[in-house]
Amino acid sequence: MTEVLLLGRRAVREIGRIPEATIPALFIPLFFLVVNIGQVSKTFPDTTPFLHGQGYVAFQLPVSLMFAVATATSGLALVTEIDMGYFDKLLAAPIRRSSIIFGRLTADLVRGLMGSTVVLLAGIALGAHMASGFLGAVVLVVLAALFGVGYAGFGILVALRTRNVQATNTSFLLFFPLLFLTPNFVPFDRLSPVMEALARLNPVSYVIEGLRSLIILGWDWGKLAVCVGVIVGLVGLLTTLSLRAIANYDRS
Amino acid sequence: MNNPNAVEVRSLSRTFKGGVEAVRNIDLSVARGEVFGFLGPNGAGKTTTVRVLCTLLPPTAGSASVAGIDVVADPAEVRRRIGVALQEIGLDPVQTGRELLELQCGLYGITGADARARATELLELLGLTDAADRRTKTYSGGMKRRLDLASALVHSSEVLFLDEPTTGLDPASRRTVWDEVARINGAGTTVFLTTQYLEEADRLCNRLAIIDAGEIVAEGTPERLKADMGDDVVTLALDGADPAATETALDGLPGLERIVAEPEQLALYVEDGAGSIAEIVRRLDRAGIRVGAIATSRPSLDDVFLQATGRRLEGAEEREDA
Repeated sequence: MTEVLLLGRRAVREIGRIPEATIPALFIPLFFLVVNIGQVSKTFPDTTPFLHGQGYVAFQLPVSLMFAVATATSGLALVTEIDMGYFDKLLAAPIRRSSIIFGRLTADLVRGLMGSTVVLLAGIALGAHMASGFLGAVVLVVLAALFGVGYAGFGILVALRTRNVQATNTSFLLFFPLLFLTPNFVPFDRLSPVMEALARLNPVSYVIEGLRSLIILGWDWGKLAVCVGVIVGLVGLLTTLSLRAIANYDRS
Repeated sequence: MNNPNAVEVRSLSRTFKGGVEAVRNIDLSVARGEVFGFLGPNGAGKTTTVRVLCTLLPPTAGSASVAGIDVVADPAEVRRRIGVALQEIGLDPVQTGRELLELQCGLYGITGADARARATELLELLGLTDAADRRTKTYSGGMKRRLDLASALVHSSEVLFLDEPTTGLDPASRRTVWDEVARINGAGTTVFLTTQYLEEADRLCNRLAIIDAGEIVAEGTPERLKADMGDDVVTLALDGADPAATETALDGLPGLERIVAEPEQLALYVEDGAGSIAEIVRRLDRAGIRVGAIATSRPSLDDVFLQATGRRLEGAEEREDA
């Protein structure tokens, strides 16, 4: 546990020391939030049934939260360490290899909490209000951050498998289809049949739905349970695959 | 402590995907307290061997133990007992030198005030106190190498692996590292050092092995290896002369032990170098062979390398680059 804390503290320290890795990751979701609202808020005024009396910003906010937390930062940091030789230094130390992964994921959790808090505050400043109250806001931020932890596992997996900076960097692009094949602009029932079928197959849809429910509906336990289930599954699957990848790193 | 040796390698091989045999069936023994040199050109198999011994790579065949512990059976225990400074300087550029050392201490179970004290001590020892609170990305190459060495010293390791610790360093930094290696060894730590520098091997190592193309081609103390070469070396620059005709002309030279042909020169191993030069010149004149410079020297480790592999190590890097 000590080694996870030590490596986690080091990774968290990087957040403040490499602002160029953090600021764009925050700029993009805020940019999308403002632009998307500007484009469709007249189309979907607060009288639109699926907005339940809120402005379109409330509907869009979960999408921006996902953008804020889903980054390849940890994967990039790891592949850079592999490239520079520091990763070997860590592997040669008497620590469990898993602690290298958990140290990175600790930073992702912190980064996710910070990023989602900033985006949520921006959303509130633009007119959204939390139907589930302050506690709901806390749950929203935590769930978004945990989704970021799960997604970071993907970047880490690509980094360990490819050991290539470019491949790890472009792995982030895979998030776009996952994010856009969802009810990100309108609810499921407003999508075309093909899009709706694809969106219903996409687990990210249920994360967005769950987060959105906290903002617009209040405490919808059914949606929240599915959302938590998807996030736990994502974190469990990708972390397990990352742990297996680091355990087998240069072992054959 | 069943095994008296710090490092014991038996029939070790390592083949990479694609069939590249980096290390072929090597045997090594390093006694506790030695500075053992592993000398060879780039790509000879030095780093692969070190990575196997540091548990970073499993062997394809054979066995290896470090500090009496099998590297495959109990890699975690091996890692607790070794210090490692790999060829590629492993530093986190975002951290300061002090942070990096304190973290490294923590990974070896040294935490809190002990870690801070140890980091301060090492920074001072390696002359990095002034740069301690600067991020490592601002360090010069020599400073990075010294910090990397410091990070390998945070705990009291039984065996310290240094993979080409002075490659790319200026002479002053190289000397600092040499002094530090001698000091560490003086404190009782076994040092396993890979190098492609003959002077470094000659100066630091109690014993060494020469590796080429994955195989060990010579092993012994530097003095023994050089002594086995003969008494003196006379080098003849051919300057266009026919090597075979030159060898024939020198056949039967008094005190001649052997001749090793190189691309543009001949190395004559003789009992008395200075005393042989007049006779060499006479014989070449008689045969009508004109050669360039003739020089005499004591055998060096490069001559050992030449004898074992048919080519010189000195300047190999420059020749590869050319």
